[in-house]
Amino acid sequence: MVKLVRVLIVDDTAFMRKLLKNILFSAGFDIAGEAENGKQAVELYKQLKPDVVTMDIVMPEMNGIDALKEIKKIDPNAKVVMCTAVGQEQMVKTAIKLGARGYIVKPFQAAKVVEELKKVAGT
Amino acid sequence: MKALKLRAEIHEKGWREVDVIISDREILFEKNTIPLKEIEDIEIVQIDGKEAIRIKKEVDFYFNFKEKQRSVFRYLAFNLKSDRFAVYFLSPAFRGGVFVNTSKWEKGYLSVTERAIWFLSPTKQLRIPIDAIGSVKGDIRTVGKKERRVLAVTHIDGGEVVVSFVLCPETTLEMLQEYLRKIINLQKPKEKLSEIEEQVLQMVYTGVDSSNIESILGINTDELNAIYDKLISLGLVRVVKVRKEVELTPKGVAIVSELVEKVSRGG
Repeated sequence: MVKLVRVLIVDDTAFMRKLLKNILFSAGFDIAGEAENGKQAVELYKQLKPDVVTMDIVMPEMNGIDALKEIKKIDPNAKVVMCTAVGQEQMVKTAIKLGARGYIVKPFQAAKVVEELKKVAGT
Repeated sequence: MKALKLRAEIHEKGWREVDVIISDREILFEKNTIPLKEIEDIEIVQIDGKEAIRIKKEVDFYFNFKEKQRSVFRYLAFNLKSDRFAVYFLSPAFRGGVFVNTSKWEKGYLSVTERAIWFLSPTKQLRIPIDAIGSVKGDIRTVGKKERRVLAVTHIDGGEVVVSFVLCPETTLEMLQEYLRKIINLQKPKEKLSEIEEQVLQMVYTGVDSSNIESILGINTDELNAIYDKLISLGLVRVVKVRKEVELTPKGVAIVSELVEKVSRGG
């Protein structure tokens, strides 16, 4: 049986979470969970151990960069893809140095997001 | 440049053969002269089943230069009536939100005509119509191990959103940014969109279909159609397909009943 790739979606806007959920579910990913800030993401990562995390950068409570650091402490092999906007290259560079596996720029197109996540997940 | 004499085709109520001379100053054919510096724009278009170069002056001319098409296009692109700036450009840097790692910075020109901006290099002549430009923003990128301020131009190419970067001296960059912003603002709708309308627009861009948009936003077909109508009227979207909603006729019901019986009989 084919094992579905389990994704944790992290974004502070409900709309963006719904959108990503829809795109990824339609492409055959399993939505392991969703978090609306970095703190929740770290907690859910411990509980759910997803295969891939899509991580927004600018979020309240704990931003995506700090969440990435914490997740990497828990699991150095964690596969995290940063979601960013044009004009945030510096933060993306920091994230890549910290071990993010990739990044997608908002607004994104479904097919490209799926392609990138499949690449990162190694499927 | 030595004048180039070639046999081409021109489209005027149909295609016909014509002798054309292209010099470093003008295009000559029959009794017509098109000074290169008066060409406002060029574009590759399909006309009557053939690829043509549309040359815009006061009127449009459509030529097919056959096997010389690409080289004539490149030559004309470099000689348009335009404001031209020496720049480095990276295009596409992102396609559909994903980094394009095969693209390289190229040395060339950014050429601005009335209808488009062009990225010109010996190997690339990329035309971006003004109405295909979505936004222009400053960004900091690492170019040649240095952090440099660049211009991020978001535009549509082949139905996908592409981000291209332009690197040039700061003063030129600011001027270009201001100029392009003004042009873009002229095209923006005067009316402000509601949150839900913005979300629909974003989902259409992402490639979400109508039934999924309804389910994500928790709205019905009539409500979504009303939003589509507004976006259409503002020129932000266009209809590409009309979805049909159907119900079974008695004949259809009969067939479905037979099918169900067949399945339950194991046939």
